[in-house]
Amino acid sequence: MTAARVGIGGPVGSGKTALIEAILPLLAEVGIDTAVITNDLVTDEDAERLRKGGQLAPDRVRAVQAGACPHTVIREDPTLNMAAADRLETDFPGLDLILIESGGDNLASTFSPDLVDYWMFVIDVAGGDDIPRKKGPGILQANLLVINKADLAPHVGVDFPNMLAEATAVRGGGAVLPAICRKGSGIAEVVAHLRREVLFK
Amino acid sequence: MSLATIRAMQLADSGFPSGVFAYSWGLESALAEGQVCKRSLADWVALDLRTRWHRFDRIALAGGFRLTGEALSGWFETVDALMPVETQRRDSAQAGDALFASARALRIAMDPGALAAQAAGVGHFAVAHGVFLRACGLDLGTALETSALSLARGAFSAAVRLGVAGAITTQRDLLALAPLIAELAIAPDAQDLPSGAMLLPDVALMRPRQGRLFIN
Ligand SMILES: Nc1nc2c(ncn2[C@@H]2O[C@H](COP(=O)(O)OP(=O)(O)OP(=O)(O)O)[C@@H](O)[C@H]2O)c(=O)[nH]1
Ligand SMILES: [Mg+2]
Repeated sequence: MTAARVGIGGPVGSGKTALIEAILPLLAEVGIDTAVITNDLVTDEDAERLRKGGQLAPDRVRAVQAGACPHTVIREDPTLNMAAADRLETDFPGLDLILIESGGDNLASTFSPDLVDYWMFVIDVAGGDDIPRKKGPGILQANLLVINKADLAPHVGVDFPNMLAEATAVRGGGAVLPAICRKGSGIAEVVAHLRREVLFK
Repeated sequence: MSLATIRAMQLADSGFPSGVFAYSWGLESALAEGQVCKRSLADWVALDLRTRWHRFDRIALAGGFRLTGEALSGWFETVDALMPVETQRRDSAQAGDALFASARALRIAMDPGALAAQAAGVGHFAVAHGVFLRACGLDLGTALETSALSLARGAFSAAVRLGVAGAITTQRDLLALAPLIAELAIAPDAQDLPSGAMLLPDVALMRPRQGRLFIN
C-alpha cells in the first residue's frame, strides 16, 4: 500500500466536498493519480455529486456509509474506510493519493492515525469568527486547517484577517490556509502544501 | 479468569473495530416500514437470533472456524452461493472486508484459504469471523457466543443511534436475551449447511436503499 491517505474533516456544510472538487483538476494537471472515499451521513450523496462532476472516473469515487455516526467511521472504528482504501489500491495500482471525506461532524472530530497519513480540517467563515477560539481537537490537531468561504466574511460580520491570525495562534503556528473553494481561490496553495508535506511529488 | 475469557470479552466489545457498527442488518428498514417499533424491538432481535443468526450465520461461522486452506475457500464459495439476494452478498462481503482490514492492521494471521476468498470478492463476514476468532485463540463455543452477542448488541446499538431506543433500556433487553443466546450458540454438525431460505429480516434487507444511515 503506497498511496498517501489524506483525511478531510470539518463541520456540516463547511465545504469539504467543494474543496475536493476544487483540488481534483490541479492534482490531475500535475499527474497525481487520485481516488476519493466519501463518508456520507445518508446513502451516498457526496459520492454521487463527485461522480457526476466527472473529474474522476466514477469507479474512483467510493462511498462508505457511517451508521449515523460520522466520527466513529474515521476514528473509533476506521476499518470500513481502511478496507475501501485497500480495495482502491488493488483496483488502481500506482495510485498516489486517496482523499477520505468525513461526514460533517463537530469540532471534536479527528482522524485515526490508523486510517490516514495526514488530515485537513475545513471550517467556514459563516460558522463565526469564534470557531478558532473554541479550539476543539479538529481545529488544534489537524495537520492543516483550511478556512473556507472567505468571500462571506463581509456578509456575516467577520474580520477575516483577524480570524486567520487567531486560528494560527491557537494552533501554535500550525498551518492555516484561507480559501474560497467556490471560486478556486487559495486552492493552488492547498495543493502545493499537500505536494510538499505529504505527496513529495 | 481464563485467558480465553479475557480474549472473548475484548472481541465481543462494542468498541472492537470490525466495521459492524455501520450495519443494522435490516433493522433500519424494518423500523421505517413499521414492522418493528420501540415495544417490539427486543422481540425482533430475538427473532433475528433464532432465524437468520441460528440458521445461517452460526453455521457459516462454524465452517470458517473449523476449515482451512482450500476447504475453507470452498466454504466461503458455498456460503456465497447460499445467499439469495445480490445486495445481501455485497453487504456481507463489504463487512468481511472490514474485518480482514482489522486483522491485517492487528497482525492477526488469517488462513490463506480465507485470504484467497477475500481476494475473489467472497470474503463474507460470518465465515471470516469464524476464521478470525479461531486465529485469536477462542474455542468454537465461545466464538459462537461472541458472534450472537455481537449481533444482538449491534442491532440494539443501531436502534439507539436511530433514536428509537434508550442506551440503558437496550442493556436491560440484552440481559434478558442472554439465556436465549446461550441456548442458541451451540456448535452445528459438520455437515450442516446454512439455510438459504428467505427470512423476514432478509426481506427487510432487500428494501430500496434511499436515504439510509446504515449500510443495510
Ligand atoms: N460562498 C461560498 N460558498 C461555498 C464555498 N465553498 C462551498 N460553498 C457552499 O457551501 C455549501 C456546502 O458545501 P459542501 O462542499 O457541500 O460542504 P461539505 O462540507 O462537503 O458538506 P457535508 O459533506 O454535508 O458536511 C454548498 O452550498 C457550497 O456551494 C465558498 O468558498 N464560498
Ligand atoms: Mg460533503
